[in-house]
Amino acid sequence: MQEIKRRYVIPGDKIIEGNYKPLMNVVKSGNYLVSTRVGIAEAGKDGVKVIPLSGVYIPRVNDLVIGKIIDRSSLSWDVDINACFFAHLPAQDVFGRDFSPAKDDMGRQLSIGDLIIARIVSFDRTRDPMLTVQDKDLGKIPYGEFIKISPTRVPRLIGKRGSMIQTIEQATQTRVIIGQNGIVVVTGRDPDGLSLAAKAIRLVEEESHTTNLTQRVKALLNVQDPEDPEQPESVNASADIEPQTPQQQQQQPQEQQQQQEQQQQGQQPTSEPQPPQQQQGQQPTSEPQPPQQQGQKQKGQQQEEQQQQQNTSKSSSKEKHKIDNSEKSSSNNSNNDQKEKKQE
Amino acid sequence: MYSLKELTLLDENGKRSDGRGIDDLRPIKITVGVVKNADGSAFIEFGKNKIIVAVYGPREVHPKHMALPDRCVLRCRYHMSPFSTDTRKNPAPSRREVEISKVMRESLEPSLILSDYPRAVIDVFVEVLQADGGSRCAGINAASVALADAGINMRDLVSACAAGRIADNIVLDVNDLEDKEGDADMPVAYLPNLEQITLLQVDGKLTTAQFSECLNKAIDGCKLVYEIQKDALMKKYFGNELEVKEEV
Amino acid sequence: MSSSKRSTIIVEQLRKQQMLEALTRGKRLDGREYESYRNLEIEVGIIDKASGSAKVILGNTEVIAGVKVETGEPFEGLENKGALIMSAEVLPTASPHVEPGPPDEDAIELSRVVDRGVRESEMLDLDKLVLVPGKIVYTVFVDCSIINSDGNLLDATSYAVVAALSTSKFPIFEMQDDKVVDTGKTMPPPITTIPISITAVKIGESVLLDPTTEEEACMDARITMTTQSDGSIVAVQKGFTGPFTFDQIISFSEIARIKGEEIRSKIKELN
Repeated sequence: MQEIKRRYVIPGDKIIEGNYKPLMNVVKSGNYLVSTRVGIAEAGKDGVKVIPLSGVYIPRVNDLVIGKIIDRSSLSWDVDINACFFAHLPAQDVFGRDFSPAKDDMGRQLSIGDLIIARIVSFDRTRDPMLTVQDKDLGKIPYGEFIKISPTRVPRLIGKRGSMIQTIEQATQTRVIIGQNGIVVVTGRDPDGLSLAAKAIRLVEEESHTTNLTQRVKALLNVQDPEDPEQPESVNASADIEPQTPQQQQQQPQEQQQQQEQQQQGQQPTSEPQPPQQQQGQQPTSEPQPPQQQGQKQKGQQQEEQQQQQNTSKSSSKEKHKIDNSEKSSSNNSNNDQKEKKQE
Repeated sequence: MYSLKELTLLDENGKRSDGRGIDDLRPIKITVGVVKNADGSAFIEFGKNKIIVAVYGPREVHPKHMALPDRCVLRCRYHMSPFSTDTRKNPAPSRREVEISKVMRESLEPSLILSDYPRAVIDVFVEVLQADGGSRCAGINAASVALADAGINMRDLVSACAAGRIADNIVLDVNDLEDKEGDADMPVAYLPNLEQITLLQVDGKLTTAQFSECLNKAIDGCKLVYEIQKDALMKKYFGNELEVKEEV
Repeated sequence: MSSSKRSTIIVEQLRKQQMLEALTRGKRLDGREYESYRNLEIEVGIIDKASGSAKVILGNTEVIAGVKVETGEPFEGLENKGALIMSAEVLPTASPHVEPGPPDEDAIELSRVVDRGVRESEMLDLDKLVLVPGKIVYTVFVDCSIINSDGNLLDATSYAVVAALSTSKFPIFEMQDDKVVDTGKTMPPPITTIPISITAVKIGESVLLDPTTEEEACMDARITMTTQSDGSIVAVQKGFTGPFTFDQIISFSEIARIKGEEIRSKIKELN
């Protein structure tokens, strides 16, 4: 791995001196790179970033979020996505192009207080976030255990390639739906499993910056793993963001998946969104995760990477290309590392 | 009568009315994350000042026409509870509270990267539960910590402290009695890493030399306060672990 | 319209379903029994500058009350009684749904209901707080600040007021040459009884004590009943749009008396 120096920082702390690239939550001040958040600073040869430990959710295009319907106009729903802005879900997204406010009763599809899992399709400096539920597994979440965590802990809860959440799901026989905005819904048949999963999620939230978190979660869940398949738990949330998979590698599966989804959309009218946990109910969780879920999680992970890149591009769009390249090469390496380890 | 006050404000051994030396701060304690519903919060005890600060945001602006297209709006409300002062304070905002709200907002704003949150608002609510002189400085200190707790992008913390003059002596961190009976009071807010002054008020007479000595002393005070702010944040987020433990 | 989006609390449908489902099993979402209160912590004497003060933490609800004692003219029609003035402000720190500004109708109802319990029980013997009959009397201010709001502000505020008043030390004023002088000495306040309010909400046919914000957002009706030390009822406020039956109210009055005594003993321990 590249040289990485990790340090706890607060806003204004000088992280490192020299000509490094500010990647995330870092600003240049004179010859220093300075943190803008409370978090864990990492200085590597790619640049300098701070993994924040607090903050409200700032919407990003393509993020999966869990939102609450809070109001309705004649053409759209207003959705509280636990962010700095309320989002909108157009009625057309649910009813189709020929939606007519006169004929169609919006209240029959979604009512005030309903939770939906949705994707952010657009959001910029001039417009509120716009949502869609037109995708597999999106739409209304009819029931489940509702948990709110800090959005900054979401990457940690997902874990490396979804490792953390898979551990929790498998041990508790539950299905965990995670919104990037920090809203989590757990579903499952066994009430004990539900409460244990909720406990584990709280533990991840509270102790996300600490070492050996996975071990402690496993201890809480009573999971034995003598084989120790992964390398020892790395220090902090950043470990979940890195290693990064190369851009092309990710996009391919996603594109394929989207094609599949588009094909499936005909069969799956969003007026009756498939409640995700029904699939779960039919599948014992001890079995390997269904590929769909994997896909979803990888998307979550990918979004983290996009976030970094977006943050980067915010500071300088010229630098973006270079950073992409360097990230690709470095993450290529780390990706290979991982593969090798798995083979071992 | 007046000479008696002079005596009690600073005795011949250089001790002040509350037993401090001229360069001593009152005891300061900051606790982070005290208001459960808020996005960020802090409680500061600064001498006898007890101030609670809650931060909400960035969030939607109401009314919507207040929103700015290119940056976030910062709102600050400094308010004193009716029981916070010696004689009961009317709960309706006074002109003093309106002015302090304004200078607090202006002293915090340079530390925040408001362009990161266009069209949104950040609300800082400062509630003085007990006032003891220097409540605006104490409020700024707690507000800055609460903003960091809320995870708002900041260039630096803001640390605030007052200095003042008692007869010919420039003293640090003026208390209630010294504020009322002393000769000058100078509250200062400071960005400790960027070395910039974001609040400066003077209330009383100072010669040019005294002015610069006073400003210097206030800035030294801000630096001391900064260490306490920093410790409070570190303690909340990292417990007693001050170094990241690397695993091998 | 847009401001109401922030000011109304909407409970997630799935939480509401869960709540209703739990209630069919006689349970609440936080695991409490219908008649149990959340953890109640009372700390007194937290504001040195006040004659009396208390901080009450009830679950996640947090309220501070402060007592200030001054002198002034008596109220009209009550020339030979001390004056008691109460206020409560839900601070904008308390929740994202609170906007700063003058108290809204809920905050005014809150302070009036709390006031009624103290006033009607004659907790403070106002006859003993007179300096010059008809001219100068003690004026007792009790002001409350709600710092964090998670339901049942009525009871939390009421307990803070009663705890602050009953542990306060009133200054002793004297008349010297037609002027009021603070002697610098203090006296215990003339306390005659301890009024305790108990609040319940009705959701469906279930009556739950000490509601959380979430439960209040799902309630059909609310009732607050204040009893004094001898168990008699001194103030009642029925709130919100749903109805109660006669039997529900009578059985609640019994609960309010028993539960009130439990909390009263906790407040008496503070002295």
